[in-house]
Amino acid sequence: MKKKILLPTDFSIESLNLLKSILSQNNDGWKYDIVLLHGVTLTSSISELLFFSKASLIQSLTNTDFEDACNVLKNKYASHINSIRKDIFTGFTQTSFNNYVEANRFDMACIPASYKLQIKSSKSFDVVPFIKKSKLKTEQIEWNMETLMPEKGRLAELFFRGVATN
Amino acid sequence: MKTQSKTTILLLSAFFAIILIFSVFIYLSVSNYSYEDFYKLLEIRAITTAKTELEENVSPDARDLRDEFFEKLPHEKDYIFKLEPGENFYKVSAKMNIPVDFFKTIIDEGKAEYHYRSLFYKGIKYSSSKGNFIVITSAENYYEVHHAVYLKRTLVLAIAAAFILSLGIAIYFSKYVFKPITKITERVKQISSENLHLRLPVTNKNDELNELSVTFNDMLNRIETSFETQNNFVSNASHELRTPLTAIIGEADVALSKIRSTEEYIETIKIVLDEAEKLDKKTKALLFLAQTGFNGKIQKFDKVRIDQLLWDVKETIEKINPDSKIFIDTSLLPENPVKLKVKGNEQLLHLALTNIISNACKYSNYKTVYVSIGASDNKVIVIVKDSGIGIPESELKYIYDPFFRASNTKNYEGYGIGLPLTNNIIKMHNGEIIVSSLLDSGTTVQINLPIGNYEI
Repeated sequence: MKKKILLPTDFSIESLNLLKSILSQNNDGWKYDIVLLHGVTLTSSISELLFFSKASLIQSLTNTDFEDACNVLKNKYASHINSIRKDIFTGFTQTSFNNYVEANRFDMACIPASYKLQIKSSKSFDVVPFIKKSKLKTEQIEWNMETLMPEKGRLAELFFRGVATN
Repeated sequence: MKTQSKTTILLLSAFFAIILIFSVFIYLSVSNYSYEDFYKLLEIRAITTAKTELEENVSPDARDLRDEFFEKLPHEKDYIFKLEPGENFYKVSAKMNIPVDFFKTIIDEGKAEYHYRSLFYKGIKYSSSKGNFIVITSAENYYEVHHAVYLKRTLVLAIAAAFILSLGIAIYFSKYVFKPITKITERVKQISSENLHLRLPVTNKNDELNELSVTFNDMLNRIETSFETQNNFVSNASHELRTPLTAIIGEADVALSKIRSTEEYIETIKIVLDEAEKLDKKTKALLFLAQTGFNGKIQKFDKVRIDQLLWDVKETIEKINPDSKIFIDTSLLPENPVKLKVKGNEQLLHLALTNIISNACKYSNYKTVYVSIGASDNKVIVIVKDSGIGIPESELKYIYDPFFRASNTKNYEGYGIGLPLTNNIIKMHNGEIIVSSLLDSGTTVQINLPIGNYEI
């Protein structure tokens, strides 16, 4: 059985706790299609839009540690994951977000309960309010937010932070 | 030849080629135009002559008008020949020094052009009521005689002037371009092993030469560091080796100063043995460091399963020091065991991991040390996390220097060889070691090793 899940992300290792916890809860043999969504305001300049490439935009937002962390999770839960994809949402309105959700046929979304997504660049915005207002079934996930740790921002963070795995 | 002179010559030849092509083009097109123009002029003269001479009912005024208003060309001559069947113009052509082909072309095509030196001929076929005629007008091309010479002279002068100008520009330009490089060379020449602290001046300009200076400075930084490390290494090594030796010599001296009891001898020998063992350990570690740091030595590399290795390491450390608490966290262990196998030397990797984990135990006063394993697509990741004393941020960059010990490690035993050795071993395996630390709250060491791609 397949399930398509929407997870908001800010391309930090910490935000991958959402993915980690949803995967660790899976005991019913679901196969997940994961979409990591980041909100970005597109430029209004026509010449910039002419050379716009989604892939390179996503490339510029992520880093190797984040990619590695995704791969570690993917390898850990290889039998539960069908695909992991990074996507950007560029709309302004709730309606456009609803359309996005409908078009992608998400089954559910997970949002952090107390963690606030970090705004990486001036163009980024938080998609969590959109998710909350949409009709999508959402699950709130809480984890232990310890601020002082030597490996902050590094791949190692994934291994120790918050969510207990089985 | 210097690059500067090469550039000068290159620039100069480019300039010169352009000027030359330009001049040749101008000369050819101008002279070509003047030829055509002159032939047209001759043709008009020929037609006029034919009209006035051969037509009937030409008023005498027209002839006067022609003579009066047509400026005589130099050496202008008109020839009129009646065209009769069988006429081959051999005699005429021989007399006028014109090839016979000229006449044939006139007969065939209606007109022809010919020139011998500056004397130009234009012939046309003309039909009038009196019959068919060939009319030839010849004149000296005034242009050919005067203008062309003038043009040639002007062009040669212009080329010479342009050449001198471009020589100046080329020399100036190449000097201007190479000035900063010459400066850098001069500056670098001043730097020797005695004054490695000297650096090249760096401007804020974002050009290639500035980048070169920055790169040079970076290299100098590295060289200086390694120079210092080398110097420190020798002094530190001798110091480290001397300490136990001094203790042994001192003990032996004191023991030999008078006759002692058996217990005292036993104690002395124990101390000597202890110190000798320390010395042995240090020399062994040094030897290992030298071997691993030296790439000429080929170690046998084989398939190593990292999780297995970690359990072995845990066992070893707990055997050496039963106080150690090591928790191996397998929560992110990949499902596919292929992703845990690396190509490496088991003894060396064992040594490296033992060093890291036992350091973690030691500097956290034997609190629990968490060891996690994970694998991304191309590397196995081992993470060792302790909650110990940490490393001061300013000292993080020195931790791989032999004999370096952080300022907050005074209360712990050690010689500062473990981490450089580990670093060497991980580097030998094309791996990576990343240390992040917060003072007084812990250190996290991440070790990445490339996956060996062994099938099950």
